[in-house]
Amino acid sequence: MRVPGGYFGRALVVDVTDGTAELLPLPEPVLRAYVGGAGLGTWLLHRLAPAGADPLSAEAPLAFVFSPLVGTPLTTSAKFAVVAKSPLTGMVNDALASSHFAIAGKLTGHDAIVVRGRSPRPSVLLVDADGARLVDAGPEWGLPAAEAERRLRERLGRAWRVASIGPAGERRVPYATVSHDGRHAGRGGLGAVLGAKNVKAVAVRAATKVASAHPQAVLDAARDLRARSFGPATAKYRELGTLANLLAFNAISTLPTRNFTAATFAEAPRLAAEDLAELRGVARNSCASCTIGCEHIYAAKDGKGVRVEYENVFALGPMCGVSDPDDVFAASARCDELGLDTISAGGTIAWAMECAERGLLDAPWLRFGDGAALLRALDEIGSGEGLGGLLALGSRRAAEIVGGGSAAFAPHVKGLELPGYEPRTLHAMALGLAVNARGADHNRSGAYEADLSGTLDRLAGGRAHVDAAVETEDRAAVMDSLILCKFLRGVFTEPFSEWASLLSAVTGWDVDGTELRRTARRIVLAKRMFNLREGWKPADDWLPERLLTQTLEVGSGRTAALTPERLRAMVDGYYAARGLDADGRPPEAALEDLRLEFVGG
Amino acid sequence: MGAPKAALEWHGSTLLRRTVGIVGRAVDGPVLVVRAPDQPLPPLDPGVRVLDDPREGLGPLQGIAVGLAAAAPDADVAFVCSTDLPFLHGAFVRRVLAAFVEGVDVVLPDARGHRQPLAAAYRTALAPRVERLLTEGRLRPAFLFDECRVVRLDDAALLADPVLAAVDPALDSVANVNEPADYERARARPAPQVTVQRFGTLAGDGHGGRRTLRAATLAGAAAAAELVLDRHVVAAVNGDRITRDGETPLAAGDTVSFLAADAGG
Repeated sequence: MRVPGGYFGRALVVDVTDGTAELLPLPEPVLRAYVGGAGLGTWLLHRLAPAGADPLSAEAPLAFVFSPLVGTPLTTSAKFAVVAKSPLTGMVNDALASSHFAIAGKLTGHDAIVVRGRSPRPSVLLVDADGARLVDAGPEWGLPAAEAERRLRERLGRAWRVASIGPAGERRVPYATVSHDGRHAGRGGLGAVLGAKNVKAVAVRAATKVASAHPQAVLDAARDLRARSFGPATAKYRELGTLANLLAFNAISTLPTRNFTAATFAEAPRLAAEDLAELRGVARNSCASCTIGCEHIYAAKDGKGVRVEYENVFALGPMCGVSDPDDVFAASARCDELGLDTISAGGTIAWAMECAERGLLDAPWLRFGDGAALLRALDEIGSGEGLGGLLALGSRRAAEIVGGGSAAFAPHVKGLELPGYEPRTLHAMALGLAVNARGADHNRSGAYEADLSGTLDRLAGGRAHVDAAVETEDRAAVMDSLILCKFLRGVFTEPFSEWASLLSAVTGWDVDGTELRRTARRIVLAKRMFNLREGWKPADDWLPERLLTQTLEVGSGRTAALTPERLRAMVDGYYAARGLDADGRPPEAALEDLRLEFVGG
Repeated sequence: MGAPKAALEWHGSTLLRRTVGIVGRAVDGPVLVVRAPDQPLPPLDPGVRVLDDPREGLGPLQGIAVGLAAAAPDADVAFVCSTDLPFLHGAFVRRVLAAFVEGVDVVLPDARGHRQPLAAAYRTALAPRVERLLTEGRLRPAFLFDECRVVRLDDAALLADPVLAAVDPALDSVANVNEPADYERARARPAPQVTVQRFGTLAGDGHGGRRTLRAATLAGAAAAAELVLDRHVVAAVNGDRITRDGETPLAAGDTVSFLAADAGG
C-alpha cells in the first residue's frame, strides 16, 4: 500500500478490555478523502462504531486522530482531534486540542489511536515503539487532569506526553473534557467516554519520524506562514486573547447574559480584557509549534495563574450574571480541576439559576449573579451531591426531568449548550448553530464571521446568511481536518487554495482548492450521515424556543427578532445549498462519494 | 445650485448618501430613491432601491406617488423626504413615524414656521389618490392634505420627544439647502458631536474608554480616532449593523464602536 507523505497509513485500534491491539490500514483514497483530524475521525466512527451503541458502552470507540501536517514546522499544526459519539448529544463529536501530545502521538507511527472496550480497572493506555499496553492508574485516579498528567510524566519519563481526564470524566459527566498541557478537547463529553472505559489517560511516546513529500516546499511555506502569523490578523489573540470579545460583544448586543434573557451585561466592564490584562495578566503561552501565543494567564485571587478565554468567562460570568472576576476565575479553575466543559457547565447552571428563580427548582441559594452559588453548583456537579446529579446531565436532559416549561429556555442545540454568540443578533450564526452536526458550537460553524464582517445585515437573516453559514462550515471542516488553528484563518486570503498548497507539499498530492472544497462538503455530509444513523431527526436542526419567541433591542433601538419562519427559511436554504432534501437527508447518489465502505489498499 | 443636490459633497460623502443612510437607520423597511428620468445618482448602498420617475416637471407629488406605490407591498407607512436635508436626524424620522396612529393618513411636521411635506410620513395606500390628483393637474401637496386625515406636528409637539429635543433642539432636521449660499453655510457648520470607543486590541496604547469628537461620517470618526477602516477593523453605529463603509453617516449623539474584525474565540 502506497503511503503518502505526512501519513503512516494506519490506525492503531486498542481494546482496553484486555490490552490487545490491531492495525487498521488507512488506504490512500480514504486519507485523501478525509485528510485527518475531524474528517478522518468521522470516517473511523462510521467504520468502527456499532450503530446505536451507547456512547458510554464498552463497544463505543473513541479516536485520537492526528493529521498530515502534524510534525511539520507549519505554525499551529500540532493539533489532534478526539472523536466519538457524544454522551451529551448522542451524535458525532469531534473536539480538538493542541500541543506535544499531537506530535508524540503521531510519531508513535499511527495516524490515529482508537480506544474501545472497557478496562477491568482504572488504567493508563501507553503507546510507543513497543506497541500498546495498559498500566495501573490507581495513583492518578481522582486527580485533576493536569496533576495526573504531571505525575504520569514523572512516573513514566519526560518523553511521554499525556492526555488525561479529570474527576468529572471518571464520573462520566457527559460534558467532561479530555485535557493535555492545560488545553481541553472540551466539548461534547469525550472525557466521559474515556472514563467509561476506565481509562484515566492515554500516554504516547514518539518512536519514529514522518517525512513530507516535498520538504523544501514545506519549509518555505512554514517560513511564509510564520511571518504572516505575526501580522494584524492575529494581533487580537497575541495581545489580549479571545477575552477581547467580551466588551466588544457587549457593545453590539451579542453577549448572552443571564441565560439568554439579555444580550448586554451592565457589569461587563469588570470582566473586560482591556483592563484585566493590565491588572491581572501574568503570562502568555503558546501551544507547541505555534507562533501566535493566544493563551493569556491571569492571576487569580489565590495567586495561582488561571487561563482565561472568552468562552469560559462568558459562560461562567455574564451567562450566570456573575461579574466578580475572582468568582469567574475561581469557577474557571474549578472546571479545569474537575475536567468540565466550561460552556456546558455555565449554560446548565444558568438554566438552573433561572429555574430556581422561577420556583421550578427548590434551590433558594441558586441565584443569578451569585458567585458563591456558581462555585457551589460546580462543586456539586463534581461530587454528585445536592443538585449535582441533575446538573451533571446537561441542560437538555435536566429540563426533561424538571419540566415546567423549562425546556423552552434550556440553552442548547442537540443537547450541546450554546456558546457566547447571541443568535438573535447574529443571524448567520443562528443558522450555523442550528444545523451543525456537533450541536451549538462556534468552532464547527464560524458563521459569526459573516455577521461581524459588515457584508450583511446581522439582524435580517436570508439568502446571504445561508451562503455564509455554508462557507464557514466548509472552511472549518478543512481546518479541523488538516489541522490548523482557527486563529490563523485571518492570514489566508484564498484559504482553500492556500490550504491545498500546504497539503500538496506535505503529501505530494496534486490537490487544489476545488478538491478541498469537495472534501469539506464530504466531511460535513459524513457527519450528518453518522447522525442520521444514530437517530437524528429534522427537529434537531433548530434553536431553543426562547430565542425564537423573545425579542431583543439593540442599542440603536432596532428590534432583534429571529422568528421561527425566518429560521425555517434559512434552514431550508441550507438544506438546498447542501443538496439535501426538505427533511435534511442526502440523496442516495451522494453517499457513494463518502467511501464509507472503502476497505481496499 | 449649479450641481444636482443629490451629488453635493458632504464631508467626503454626498447629500443623497447621507440622507439615505440616516433614513435607513430609522426605519424598519427598505429605503427607496425616486429619481428623474436618466438622472445620474452618486453611489448608494446595494440595498437601496432606485425607482425611475417616468414623468418630469410635475413637482413633489409626482415623486411621492411613485415612491408610495413602490413601497406599498412592503409597508403601510413611509417616511418621505427630499435629499437636501443635511442635518436630518434619525430621531426626527422616528418622532414623525411615532405619531402615526390608526385612522391617520399623513403626519405633517409644521416646523420652523413651515409645513414640511418633504419631511413627512404618508400612508402608502394614498398612492392612487395622489395619482388621481396628478391626473387632475392638482400638483401641490396641499391638495392632498385637504382630502386626508392629517396630524400636524408643530415645534412644541416635535420637541415633546425628549430624544429629539436632546439631539436636535433647533429642529435642524428640516433645514434644506436651496441656494449655493445655503449649502456653503451648512457645509461650514461643525460636524455632529459623536462618541467613539475602541475595543480590544484597538484600545491599546491608551486608546481605551469613551471619547467625544466631531464627525459626519464613519470615515471621519475613524480618522479622528486615529484608525483606518481596513480589513482588520469594523465598526457599529449605536450597536447596530456592523460596517466598514466609511460613508456611513453619523448624527449628533451617535455612538461608534470600533472593533477588531476577527471575532473568533
